Amino acid sequence: MLRYLRLHRIFISQHLKRLMEYKTDFLLGAIGLLIAQALQVMFIGIIFSQIPELEGYTFDEVLFIFGFSLIPKSLDHLFTDNLWMVGYSIVRKGDFDKYLTRPINSLYYVTVERFCVDAFGEMLTGILLLSYSIPRLSMAFHWYTIPLALVVVIFATLIYTSLKTMTAAISFWTKASGHIIHMLYMTNDFSKYPVTIYNKAVQTLITYVIPFAFTAYYPASFFLTDKNPLFCIGGTVIAGTALFALALFIWNRGIRAYESAGS
Amino acid sequence: MDKMIYVDNLRKEFKKVIKEPGLKGSVKSLFSPKKEIITAVDGVSFDVDRGEILGFIGPNGAGKSTVIKMLTGILTPTSGMCRINGKIPQEDRKNYVREIGVVFGQRTQLWWDLALRETYAVLKEIYEVPDEQYHKRMAFLNEVLELDDFITSPVRTLSLGQRMRADIAASLLHSPKVLFLDEPTIGLDVVVKENIRGAIRQINEQEGTTVILTTHDLSDIELLCERIVMIDKGKKVFDGALSQLKHSYGQMRTFRFELLSPDDIALLDYRGRFKLSDDDCSTEVKKASVCVKFNSSLVSVEDMISYTLQTVHVKDIEIRDVEIEEIIKRLYKREVAV
Repeated sequence: MLRYLRLHRIFISQHLKRLMEYKTDFLLGAIGLLIAQALQVMFIGIIFSQIPELEGYTFDEVLFIFGFSLIPKSLDHLFTDNLWMVGYSIVRKGDFDKYLTRPINSLYYVTVERFCVDAFGEMLTGILLLSYSIPRLSMAFHWYTIPLALVVVIFATLIYTSLKTMTAAISFWTKASGHIIHMLYMTNDFSKYPVTIYNKAVQTLITYVIPFAFTAYYPASFFLTDKNPLFCIGGTVIAGTALFALALFIWNRGIRAYESAGS
Repeated sequence: MDKMIYVDNLRKEFKKVIKEPGLKGSVKSLFSPKKEIITAVDGVSFDVDRGEILGFIGPNGAGKSTVIKMLTGILTPTSGMCRINGKIPQEDRKNYVREIGVVFGQRTQLWWDLALRETYAVLKEIYEVPDEQYHKRMAFLNEVLELDDFITSPVRTLSLGQRMRADIAASLLHSPKVLFLDEPTIGLDVVVKENIRGAIRQINEQEGTTVILTTHDLSDIELLCERIVMIDKGKKVFDGALSQLKHSYGQMRTFRFELLSPDDIALLDYRGRFKLSDDDCSTEVKKASVCVKFNSSLVSVEDMISYTLQTVHVKDIEIRDVEIEEIIKRLYKREVAV
């Protein structure tokens, strides 16, 4: 475990060094994501300039949920972005070979290679939204609120990482699965808003099938209302753990099916 | 016997969806895919002694890389088994790869943007090489593979020759017991090739490292390997010492006669005289010299020389050694029964 952390440290310091080399690239990437998020916030602002509240949620509450959703999303983005490349090209081109010839976990190895600093744009938006909305909300603060929020963020990130791992692993059988990961991320758009605004089908989908609702709305609604801790927090922890176990299982089965490519 | 690598009836099949040409074919195969099973490796068995350098050869598409990929744990065999260093690669991959080194000449395993020095620092962590051993090892590899000139450069800026040396050094950092080299000299100039061969020989002699080497450069084989295994279309076609190959299949001999007068060349008719086919006898004329390549199991060396001496005036004779390349070319083309 310690070895893995040391490896991460070396890689991250390398990435940061590289960042200094390609400053413009980083700035453009981060600014791009920042603008994308800002537009979404503007969109929410426009809606609320027409209506006072959305299914019982005020502007500030919606901003809180949106801001909260960006934290685990950006963390996953920061650390496991290379899974996109697994889905799009690494497996298809046979480049996955090299991840199998080293004595470390292949999933860890493939993700540690990329540290997607663009994600800081998303994270910054999330932090800004939270620091704007929290003081304007009458949320109950307990001694456990902060530690609990950290735990929730960890498991919510795990939900992202697991779903991405599973969809990326499909490429071991189909050669490429980038579009499937892309589809997954389309449903992720639902998770930014209160789940109650959707119809039953979408609610079921993002609660029980692709449980993105547990990465933002449910835990956020617990922090907002102090109600339903078992479902809202417990659900996140359970979904994160179960999906991660399933993702590892699928990943390992996938490696056995991996066919490499001619050289 | 102390076998380092033990391969028994190894087989690998790939499923391939057959598509008819055009968009219509693609749509059709989407709904009713026709699958074909391609056998890339078809029951290959061989073993390798501890400390041996084995040349693993075969024409393009013979299944060499597929075998190497199964031996290194990248691919799972369809059936059969391989045991290396007492371990089955697919069973406990992480522990198994700790004691092997792998180099794929066609693609680097190094990190594109990392400086080479950092690359080795990462590998040191991955393989948990102790500090003292690491420094000793780096000094040794530096000396053998001459890494010093480019050790601070990022991998992406290295030339092919530098990159290959860097890759080989990376595969040796943790002092593996078995080294798999898949075309380690591909596309390199003679100096780098020589350097790499020297390194392989030195590692093998000093540390008793077992080496499996695939290559299309037969001088690699001649200089490094005592024994070769040849496969073709997924099957083993030859397994034995290089000298045995030369002895058994080296019937093709080449003589070069330098004549006093270029006009005499027209007098020579080897094929007609000995009734040989084009494959068994060929001549090449250059100015006043004639190069004749013939099958010595059909015509004796003595007959060949005496016929030439009787027919024309000869200034000089050159007798060339059996060329391994020639034998292998004929084996690849299936002209020699094995």
